[in-house]
Amino acid sequence: MDKILEVKNLKISFRTSGGTVKAVRDISFDLERGKTLAIVGESGSGKSVTSKAILGILAGNSIIEGGEILYDGKDLLRISEEDMCKIRGDKISMIFQDPLSSLNPIVKIGNQITEAMILKNRTSRKEARGSFNRHLALLKKNMLAANDPSLAGEIDELVKTLDKMSIEGNKLENRYNNEKTEAVDLLSAIEDFLFKASKKQKLDVKKELSRFEKLLADISDPFLTINYDEQIKTLCAELSAAKSSYSAPKKGEDENVELPEEIISVLERIKPILSDITAHENPNFFRIGYYKLMNPNASLTEMPIAEFNEYALKYLDENFMHRFIELEEKGVEYSFNQALAKKKDVVEKLEDAKTFYLGDFSKAEALKLCKTLSDEVEASIDRLEINKDSVAYTFRTALTTAINKYFFYMKNNPKEEARFARQSKKRDALIARGKHVSWKVVPKVVFDLEELKADIVAVIDRLSTRYSEYIANADSVDFNARSVEIIDYFKDKASQVVYKVTKSMAKERAIKLMEEVGIHEPRTRYYQYPFEFSGGMRQRIVIAIALAADPDIIICDEPTTALDVTIQAQILELINNLKKERNLSVIFITHDLGVVANMADDIGVMYAGKIVEYGTADDIFYDPRHPYTWALLSSMPDLDTKEKLDAIPGTPPNMIYPPVGDAFAERNKYAMQIDFEECPPFFDVSETHKAATWLLHPDAPKVERPKAISDRIERMLSKTGGEQDGE
Amino acid sequence: MENNKNEVLLRVEHLSQHFGKLKAVNDVSFDIKKGEVFGLVGESGCGKTTTGRSIIRIYDITGGSIYFKDQRICAGTLEYKEAIDNIKKETKDAIKALEQEIAENPELKSDKEALIKAKKEECDRVIAENRKLIKEAKFDHKNSDKEYSKNCVKEVEAKFAKLFEEAKNNPEETALLKKKYKDELRVAKNTKLVTNIQMIFQDSIAALNPRMTVREIIAEGLVINGIKDKEYIDEKVYEILELVGLVREHAGRYPHEFSGGQRQRIGIARSVIMNPDLLIADEPISALDVSIQAQIINLMNELRERLGLTILFIAHDLSVVKYFSDRIGVMYYGNMVELAETDELFAHPLHPYTRSLLSAIPLPDPHAEKKRTRIVYNALAEHDYSVDKPSMREILPGHFVYCNDAEEANYKKELGL
Repeated sequence: MDKILEVKNLKISFRTSGGTVKAVRDISFDLERGKTLAIVGESGSGKSVTSKAILGILAGNSIIEGGEILYDGKDLLRISEEDMCKIRGDKISMIFQDPLSSLNPIVKIGNQITEAMILKNRTSRKEARGSFNRHLALLKKNMLAANDPSLAGEIDELVKTLDKMSIEGNKLENRYNNEKTEAVDLLSAIEDFLFKASKKQKLDVKKELSRFEKLLADISDPFLTINYDEQIKTLCAELSAAKSSYSAPKKGEDENVELPEEIISVLERIKPILSDITAHENPNFFRIGYYKLMNPNASLTEMPIAEFNEYALKYLDENFMHRFIELEEKGVEYSFNQALAKKKDVVEKLEDAKTFYLGDFSKAEALKLCKTLSDEVEASIDRLEINKDSVAYTFRTALTTAINKYFFYMKNNPKEEARFARQSKKRDALIARGKHVSWKVVPKVVFDLEELKADIVAVIDRLSTRYSEYIANADSVDFNARSVEIIDYFKDKASQVVYKVTKSMAKERAIKLMEEVGIHEPRTRYYQYPFEFSGGMRQRIVIAIALAADPDIIICDEPTTALDVTIQAQILELINNLKKERNLSVIFITHDLGVVANMADDIGVMYAGKIVEYGTADDIFYDPRHPYTWALLSSMPDLDTKEKLDAIPGTPPNMIYPPVGDAFAERNKYAMQIDFEECPPFFDVSETHKAATWLLHPDAPKVERPKAISDRIERMLSKTGGEQDGE
Repeated sequence: MENNKNEVLLRVEHLSQHFGKLKAVNDVSFDIKKGEVFGLVGESGCGKTTTGRSIIRIYDITGGSIYFKDQRICAGTLEYKEAIDNIKKETKDAIKALEQEIAENPELKSDKEALIKAKKEECDRVIAENRKLIKEAKFDHKNSDKEYSKNCVKEVEAKFAKLFEEAKNNPEETALLKKKYKDELRVAKNTKLVTNIQMIFQDSIAALNPRMTVREIIAEGLVINGIKDKEYIDEKVYEILELVGLVREHAGRYPHEFSGGQRQRIGIARSVIMNPDLLIADEPISALDVSIQAQIINLMNELRERLGLTILFIAHDLSVVKYFSDRIGVMYYGNMVELAETDELFAHPLHPYTRSLLSAIPLPDPHAEKKRTRIVYNALAEHDYSVDKPSMREILPGHFVYCNDAEEANYKKELGL
């Protein structure tokens, strides 16, 4: 299965005035692509903390004690804030419980949705140009080194051509994009105009119409108007005729007259043409750029775009690309082999470093080794690779942080102990003298140095396993495919450079998004403030914002808890549909097992910072094993419940002093002696299903689940015909 | 108990509550029988909370009347004002038409003038009648509590008159009685009819004063009522605390020291200490975790049995409402659209909004959930009320639906009547 996110042995605690709260205690789970994982538990069970850790937005007093969160080969707990910025919101988005507090009350909804799109576009264009140039220079260097020196002139020429053709293509694409943007702008303006007219708002009709006429006449690029030239001309004429025949209502007259039919009809006829233009298939500018570079005077209008694309491809391949790839391939192979040799070196050194870091060492020594090691690791990276191996890239930061943390606590631990002892002594003395002491001693934060050391080694270990795999797979690399990949990369970057999101484009996209999440009349609502929306609508806006960057993963933190039943059903349906359409992976956090039955593929039940039961939705609902899951299920009435509800007595434990044994033991009527003494491990029920309770131990007495649940499950299964396995 | 089952404790008639142009509640009628739990469901903003608050007189209602124990406690003047406006307009139109006729046919003048006079008189009569009703409504609205406390005072006076008579010759006992008489008289004077209705709020954090201890919060009602005996108050508070599943030691603490479920228990204790007949529970569990919800529902069920409470239960979670209520009223945009006994409502939901509401209930059953289709309700598409105006109609005994003639026939056909 395709795992998109892996959480391994995550431990998080919070420093508070009362003591260190152990919020998450060693949890692990996987999220698969296109699936929904529900995390269910009471408030304070650590489910929100987990999700915040994934996004890197934990509160300042949090301590990440260990574990890793792997996304796309990166450990999200160890990457730098800049790298995190590229993931947060872009790849992993979040929908919060209270939509009102996640929207800015004094900014209009539309601006809140488009803000991120415009900002992101601005930076990505700048970056694209930079990485294009850098990568091209690197490629050239490698090609020169790999090929016969006699070919140096040719290589130089080829690389220059690639650069030039990308610029030529850019110029064309830029012009094309501008035209397209103009079409979008005009379409948006016409929609606005018609919308306002239908709402009988005040309009300067003459001025607007002449603006439309001017814009329409401008749309004349050869790429776009192959089929529409004539139509646009006639429509222009009609528009101007309509404009001249229109007389604005005089002052004092009723100003709420309806727009003449003819104006509306002309505008309505312009609309499909414009939307067709905006939906046009993009020509391949990279190819055309080359054609145009070679034949500067050639006209491009003669062929339909699809046909011309084919022709340009052939022209490019024959005259340029085949030769280029031939030479490029050698360069790529050369770079790969160079890196491979260095990697083999580094792996040995990493092994040495491991033994070094396991022994005794001073800070200066450790950092020095870290520096040399990191330098070598960075030198061993094959920079021409498009799919970057992020473990190697983040090696330096990860290792340095781990070392610094070790030494910080080495210094800090005794200080902390001393402070704690001092303050406790003082407090005890005061109490002994019979005084009333209202303050408490801030508990000590002490780390196990051995564990921190193990963390350092773990960083090195991860890289060395990665490199060993790499070396083992070295024979099966397809360099031709890699070369093509690089060309695609150039193409991609080149078009990113000129892809400009204007305000009106962002607006159109925002309106489309708003429509997608089910907001009616998005055009009016675009200009409204958050307080003008109802709770369900606000939640839709938040979802639209989360979707704006097209993320891979969406984390929903109790998205429906503040909403009522009908709206809740709508929002759940919406999230489900979006998940299917966009192949999203969802982490769904809730305290209500009822709402996840329809949503979740997998469910993890959390209690007191631990996952106590993990399985598919069917496992959890039809075959629950942990007493806490039983309690959760039996404490909510369904439509057939008549008997007294089985409430869970008491409250969750204080996580400053987490219980030694099973955290749920105190509220559990099935608790055995061992539950108070030792924490139960996971027992596998089936391949997909596991639960951490001593009841599953082979020596445990047989305990039947509560009758209310058995009855309900029987009822449910009989209703659906007992098809527990089939879908 | 059986005999009391059909005794109506609270009757709401044509209740309207408008805030300016916004008609939060519009012409809602229902009654609550003694000892039952009446559930009120609907989406947020449909007016169910406003209804609850109107009953306990947090708002002055715009129209309609509310009777509690057959005593009108709230009265609005909207319908009377509307009647006055209507008759004025009608008369004006009629007179205008008649004058027109006079202008065309002067020979009919005397006849028509007599008619005009009659119309005017009729109009004056109706206005006077309605003005009287408005006066009465305003009087009831203002004085229902005064009347009630007057009665209480009378009762106490009568009781003690007898006791004084008996203890005439014993000066010590008379002095004791005098003190007792004074206390009881003060309580009676402060007694209000509305005190017999109490409310539990949704947000227990916002509903409890953060600067008062639990003891002060729970005893506040008693203190306002004029009870000054500290020992009696303390005893009562402890008793109630234990009743709602808290312990005596909690009395000295502040609300922030409690968890959400415990806070809601305090809210319940505060309302139960006044010995109410009717408890209005406004979404008491929606802000709580599922496991705590069950605790609170069990507690309310227990209290209901022990104290014989009648409860108006406002909520949007239908599974809970179904579990807890005897009868359910469904509200949509300020109107009551369906009202029936719980089992009947879930067995035969008639109004399309009720159906859509029922179809939205999430179930803890993945297979059933995947097959569930939600019914979408669109009021404009569903009903055509342009000609035939709808009203509350009884389709089956005890099952009311808001519909017009055509729909009524349809519903009856569906039920095979």
